[in-house]
Amino acid sequence: MTSPLLRATSISKSYGRRRVLDQVELELYPGTLVGIVGENGAGKSTLLRILAGDLRPDSGAVQITGALGYCPQAVVLNEALTVDQHLDYFRAAYQAPDLQVASGLIERLGYTKYRRTPASALSGGIRQKLNLTISLMHDPTVLLLDEPYQGFDWETYLRFWELAADLRQRGRATLVISHLLFDQERFDTIYHLANGRLQVTKSASHAAAPAHV
Amino acid sequence: MFDQLRAALRYTLLEIARNRLAAGLLIIFVPLWYYLLGALIGNAPVAFKYGLSNRFLQVDGHNLTLITTGLNTVTLIMAFLFFASTRGSAAFDQRLVRSGYRQATLMLAKASALIVASAVIATYALGVMMVAWRPRGLFLIWLSFFLAGLIYGALGLLLGALLRSELAGFFIIIMVSLFDTLFQNPLDNPAANQDALKALPSYAPTQVGVAGGFTSLFPGRELLLSLAWFAVLIALGLAIFWLRTRSWNASARRSAARVAPVAPAA
Repeated sequence: MTSPLLRATSISKSYGRRRVLDQVELELYPGTLVGIVGENGAGKSTLLRILAGDLRPDSGAVQITGALGYCPQAVVLNEALTVDQHLDYFRAAYQAPDLQVASGLIERLGYTKYRRTPASALSGGIRQKLNLTISLMHDPTVLLLDEPYQGFDWETYLRFWELAADLRQRGRATLVISHLLFDQERFDTIYHLANGRLQVTKSASHAAAPAHV
Repeated sequence: MFDQLRAALRYTLLEIARNRLAAGLLIIFVPLWYYLLGALIGNAPVAFKYGLSNRFLQVDGHNLTLITTGLNTVTLIMAFLFFASTRGSAAFDQRLVRSGYRQATLMLAKASALIVASAVIATYALGVMMVAWRPRGLFLIWLSFFLAGLIYGALGLLLGALLRSELAGFFIIIMVSLFDTLFQNPLDNPAANQDALKALPSYAPTQVGVAGGFTSLFPGRELLLSLAWFAVLIALGLAIFWLRTRSWNASARRSAARVAPVAPAA
């Protein structure tokens, strides 16, 4: 069997006395799309932030093979910089040679005409698109998405699923967390996060099969 | 490394240049403050305790006020700029670090941007001051504005990394800058010239400015004291910035990426 691109072992995290994550185990394999659902406050964002390295768990370890892409729920941009300046800044961060992938994403998500617009003047939907583009522009092997399609219009929502299917086809591992997962048939595995633990609600039997779009 | 430094320096400076509050303060507040305080204070001589020679100088009260007014405006604007920039970009900086930016590079870029901004604002404040007064030691007065800008820019950065409340930050900056710079002027504060004032951050830059405006002495000790203030404040600010932006598994991930940089195909 192929080895996982992300392996989280025994992740626990408490806020004060409240135990949010209790010995969570998670593996993401190449070519899979995995979803995690849970109530508000169940610890989904905490888990994702630990996987991304923003937050240190009380115990446990996260191993990631290759590059990581993380799209936070709150749009994290610099208001003074234009779309193109964001891309140049993050190209330097990822140490990528060019902006080929980013340009392709901008075209696919349909916001090419805003490339010279400062973030402060962008609409909520375009900001969300730029947020997603930044997390994908270095073609990561593991992609973590926190409520990724909030604020998307219908057209962009469909484009998003095209992108997700494309990543899956190219052997990337994608994890989506949301309080509501629509289109459950698009996921290979779906977990439910409750009482600090992950429970499988949809099995990973067809993990490496091509996506149905 | 060089590419990251280039981008970080460029965009930090760009962000600062687009700060409308600071631009407004530069265009309106600096000339207005010079004009108001300059008009209020006459040219009568005033005794100023000059630390380098430890004696009292008789200086022109109006011109001394121009120096302390310049210091007040430079310190306020620099502190505002770096408080707003550091606080506003906290989450963004963390995202950059998580995406592979070296923290040391971001820190170096912030410190360099602070030096550049202070040099530009000091030059502007000196230029506006020269409409009213052309002192002999122009360079030392510029240096006094520049050093005060460094110290207060670093204070702004420290507060921006430390505080979550915008109001608290602005309040602290206004109070500290106003009292610190006014206390140094015996016309505004009858208790000026006392040794206790030496412990305030604008003491040394004020002395450098007075040396330039009214003496032919070189204030080496005050220059070093100013740089020490800057060094301590910037070190504290960057240390907190480092703690706030670090990614707990970034180094583990970097080494993993080195081992297996190419993703397995489906």
